Amino acid sequence: MSETTTSQSHASQHASHEPPRRRHWLLAAGWPRAAWMTVFFFLLGMGIVVGLRALGGYEPALDWHPVIVVGALTMAPLGFLSGLGAFDYWVSYAIGRPTQPEDHSSHGAYSWKDYFRVNTDHKVIGIQYLTTTIFFFLAGGLLALLVRAELARPETNYVDTQTYNELFTVHASLMIFLFIIPAFAGLANFVVPLMLGAPDMAFPRLNALSFWLLPIAGIMLLTSFFFPGAGAGWTNYAPLSVHEPFGNVFFSMAVQWAGASSIMTALNFLVTIITMRAPGMTFWRMPLLVWANFTTSLLVVIATPFIAASQFFVMFDRVMHTHFFDSGEGGYALGYQHIFWFYSHPAVYIMILPGFGIVSEVISTFSRKPIFGYRLMALSLMAILVLGFSVWAHHMFVSGMAGYLRVPMMVTTLLIAIPTGIKVFSWLATLWEGKLHFSAPMLWALGFVTSFVVGGLSGVMLGAVPIDIHVSDTYFIVAHIHYVLLGGSLFTIFAGIYYWFPKMTGRMYNERLAKLHFWLTLVAFNTTFFPMHLIGIQGMPRRVATYEDRFGDWNLFISISSFVLGASFMIFVYNMIVSWKSGPLAPANPWRGMTIEWLVSSPPPVFNFDEVPQVVGSPYEYGVPGARHAILNGDRAADLEPVRTT
Amino acid sequence: MRRGAIVALISIALVVAAITTAIAYFVDWLPEQASEERQGIDLVFWVTVAICIFFFAVVASVSIYSGVKFRVKPDDLSDGPPIHGHTGLEIVWTAVPTICVTVIAVLSAVVLTQNDSSKGKPLRVEVLAQQYAWQFTYPEEGGIKATNLYLPINRSTKLELTARDVLHSFWVPEFGQKQDAVPGIVTTVVITPTKTGEYRLICTELCGLGHALMRTRAIVLSQADFAAWTKKQPQGGGSASGGEIDAKGIFTANCAPCHTLTKAGTNGMVGPVLDDLALPPSAVEHQIRNGGGGMPPFGNQLSDDEIEALVQYLTGSNG
Repeated sequence: MSETTTSQSHASQHASHEPPRRRHWLLAAGWPRAAWMTVFFFLLGMGIVVGLRALGGYEPALDWHPVIVVGALTMAPLGFLSGLGAFDYWVSYAIGRPTQPEDHSSHGAYSWKDYFRVNTDHKVIGIQYLTTTIFFFLAGGLLALLVRAELARPETNYVDTQTYNELFTVHASLMIFLFIIPAFAGLANFVVPLMLGAPDMAFPRLNALSFWLLPIAGIMLLTSFFFPGAGAGWTNYAPLSVHEPFGNVFFSMAVQWAGASSIMTALNFLVTIITMRAPGMTFWRMPLLVWANFTTSLLVVIATPFIAASQFFVMFDRVMHTHFFDSGEGGYALGYQHIFWFYSHPAVYIMILPGFGIVSEVISTFSRKPIFGYRLMALSLMAILVLGFSVWAHHMFVSGMAGYLRVPMMVTTLLIAIPTGIKVFSWLATLWEGKLHFSAPMLWALGFVTSFVVGGLSGVMLGAVPIDIHVSDTYFIVAHIHYVLLGGSLFTIFAGIYYWFPKMTGRMYNERLAKLHFWLTLVAFNTTFFPMHLIGIQGMPRRVATYEDRFGDWNLFISISSFVLGASFMIFVYNMIVSWKSGPLAPANPWRGMTIEWLVSSPPPVFNFDEVPQVVGSPYEYGVPGARHAILNGDRAADLEPVRTT
Repeated sequence: MRRGAIVALISIALVVAAITTAIAYFVDWLPEQASEERQGIDLVFWVTVAICIFFFAVVASVSIYSGVKFRVKPDDLSDGPPIHGHTGLEIVWTAVPTICVTVIAVLSAVVLTQNDSSKGKPLRVEVLAQQYAWQFTYPEEGGIKATNLYLPINRSTKLELTARDVLHSFWVPEFGQKQDAVPGIVTTVVITPTKTGEYRLICTELCGLGHALMRTRAIVLSQADFAAWTKKQPQGGGSASGGEIDAKGIFTANCAPCHTLTKAGTNGMVGPVLDDLALPPSAVEHQIRNGGGGMPPFGNQLSDDEIEALVQYLTGSNG
C-alpha cells in the first residue's frame, strides 16, 4: 500500500518542492549542455585514441577509423546523454551529493518543451517513443521507395550498387530496430502501467535513458550514408560485413545503442509487471496486452545480448584485427549466423507478440465479448516464448551447417505454428456472435488477422526444408517477412495507435480518414507484396539492383503499388497531426473498454491515479451484467464521465 | 450453432478454396522442372499448399461470415454473449494443425533424405565461388576447369562447394537445390538433371557489389555429349586456350560481371566502364593485383603472366 501514499502525495510534493538552485544555462541539464558535452566527449575519445597510438608508436597517431569508432560512435553519444541530464541523478548519488528520491520535477509534460528533455513520466516517454519511431518509420519507408524506384526496371538506373545495398540495409535496420521494436515499447510504455493500476514504471529514470538511446541509434544508421559500408543487409553476415568499407561500424554501433535501449526497457517492464500490479490483479487477471509484453520482455532480456555480441565480433574483426569469422586465420564464418539468429529469430516474436496483445484487446472490446480461451491465449504466448529459442537454425537450412540439425529445427519450426494457430482461431471465435463495431482499430486488427494468416502459412511453407531450400534468399522470403512484419506488426501498431490515441492525446482522430488510410494500405500492401511470392519461386533473388528482364513487368507493377502504399501513410500522418491539434475532445472511455486505463480521464492525470484501483475480476467480462474489471473508489470516474456516443 | 450458419460457413469456405485453388492451378508458379530433386521439392510444395488453402478457407469463411452477420449499428450498445471458451473446440484446433504439420514434417524429412543422397556413383564437381565468378573443376575427368557448369543427364552430380572470400550461394531454379559456399569449409549438394538444356545459375547470397551479376550457366548434356565435351577440354586445368595466354578470355571470365568493355563484348555495370581507360599500365596492374574502391584483389587468383597480358590488353585499348 506504500504506492497509495506516494501517489497521493506526488501532486502536493511537486507543488511545494523548493526549486533547486538555478545553474548557469551552460551547466544546467538540457540541449546547450548536450551540445558542448557531445563535442567535448568526442574530443576526449579522440584524445584517448591519439594518445595511446602515439605512446605505442603506431603510425599515424591520428587514424580516423578508430577515432570515429571511439570518439564519434561511443563517447559522443555518452556526452550527449550526460549533457541532456540522463545520468544526473545517478552521478549525484555516486559522488555523494544530496539526492531526493521522490523528486518529481522531471515528471509529466506541461508544455511541448517537456517532450524534448529527459522526462521520467511513462506517458510522456510513450509519446516520445511513438513520435520518434514514426519519424524513423517514414525515413525507412522513403528508403524502401528508393529501392522500389531502382527496381522498377531491370537495369541499374538511379543509384550505384554500393548505395543500393545501403538503401535496403538501412531500410530494414530502421524498420526493425528503430520502428517496430521501439514502437511496441512506446505503446506499452504508455499503456502497461495504466493497465496495471501503477503510478509509473518501476524505474522511471532508466525508462528515460532507454528512450534517449534510440535517436542516437537512428541518427547513426542514417549518417551511415555519408560513410559507405553499411551495405551487407540488415543481417550483416560475416565475412562480407568484415570486408565492407569502413562505414559498416555505423551499423554495428547503432545496433548496440538500440539493443541497449531494448534490454533496459524489457527489464523495466518485467519488474513493473511483477511488482506493481494493483491489488487484486493476479496473473490470471492481467489483460493479454500485459501478458504479451511480459513474454516479449523475457525474449528481449535473454536474446538481445546475442546480437550485441555478433556485432561486436564483426567490429573487432575489422578494427582490432581479431579473427572470429576469418577462416584463413582459424575463424568460423558460420559462427556468425548461429549467434546472429539466436537473437534474430526470437526477435521476430519480439516484433509480433506485443501486436498479439494489442489485437486481443481491440477484438474483445469491439466485439463486445470476452476474449475466447483467455488462459490458452496466455499459455500459447509462453509456448511461443519457449519454442522461439529452439528454431533459429531454420534460417540456415542452406548455409552449410551440420546436416542433421535441419530436421529437428524443422520440427520445432512447424510446432510453433500450433500456438500461433490457437491465437488466430481464438480471435475468430471471439468475433462469433459478438456485436461487431468496425471502427478503425477493429479494421486494423482484422486486417492484421488476414495478412498474418497469409504470412503464417508462407512461414509453414518455409519451415518445410525442401521448399525452403528452393526459395531461400529469393523474393519469396521478402514477401513472407513483409506479410508478417508489415501486414502483421505494422497493422497491429496502427490498431494500437488508433485505439489509444484518444487516451494519449485527449482528442478523437478523424474516423473517415482512418478508414480511408486502412483500405488504401490494405489494398496497396497486398498488390505490393503478394506478387513477390511468385517472382521469388520463379527465380528472382533478393538484394539485387539488376535482374532478369522476364521479371520486369511484375516489378514495375510492384513498384507502382509500393508508391500507393507510401502515399497511404501520408493520410495517417495528416490525421494524427490535425487531430492532435484540433480533434474533438475525447471522453475517458470512448470504446467502452473494461481495462483500467479507461477508468481515468483522457489524457490521464500526471500521476495516473489519485487512488490505487482495486481489481475485482477478469479484464474482459463483456456481456456479464454488472461485471467490472477494476473499481476506483465509489466508481467516481464512471459517474463523472458518462459514456458519450458520437 | 444453427444449421443455417454451418451451411453458410461451408459454402463460403468452398468458394474461397475454389478461388485459391484456381490461382494455385492456373498461375504458372514453379519454374520448369529439370532435376529429380525438384520432383521431391514440388511434391512437398503442393502438399503444403493444399493444407494452406484448407486453413486459409476456414479463416476466411469465419471472418467473412462474422463480418456480415454480427455487425451492429454504432448506436447499438448491447454486449455479445459472455462465452469464455469451449474446451472441445480448443482441443480440435490444437489437434488438427498438429496432425497437418506432422504430415508436412514427415514428408519433408523423407524428401530431404532422398535429395541428399545420390543415385549410383555420383560425378564429383568442385565448385569455387569468389567475387563475382564461379569456377567448376572436374577432378575425376582429369581436372578440367570450366566457368559454366556442364552436367550429364540422368546421373547424380555431387557438387563440393567452397568460397574464396565471402559467402556465396549456388542456385539453379530449375534444379531446385540451393547451397551456400562458405570460406573454410566444403559444403555439398546433389543434383540429378532430367532434361537437357541451358539453365541460369545464380548467386543468391549477397556477396558484394557484383552480387546481382554473379551469374553463369548450367548446361545439361546427354551422356554421350558430356563424354565428348570432357575429351575436348585441356586436361590438368591449364588456361582454356592452351599455350598462348588469352587476355580476352581472362577478361570475360574474371572482369565481365562488373566492367563494360566493348571490344570484349561485356556490359557489367558495377565498376567503371573500361573503354576509355586513361591510366598508366603500372596503375592498372596495381589495381588488378590489390583491388580497392570496392573491387576485390586478383593478385592471388591470376598468374603474373596472366596479369601482364591483361594489363597489355586493357591499356592497349587506348591505342
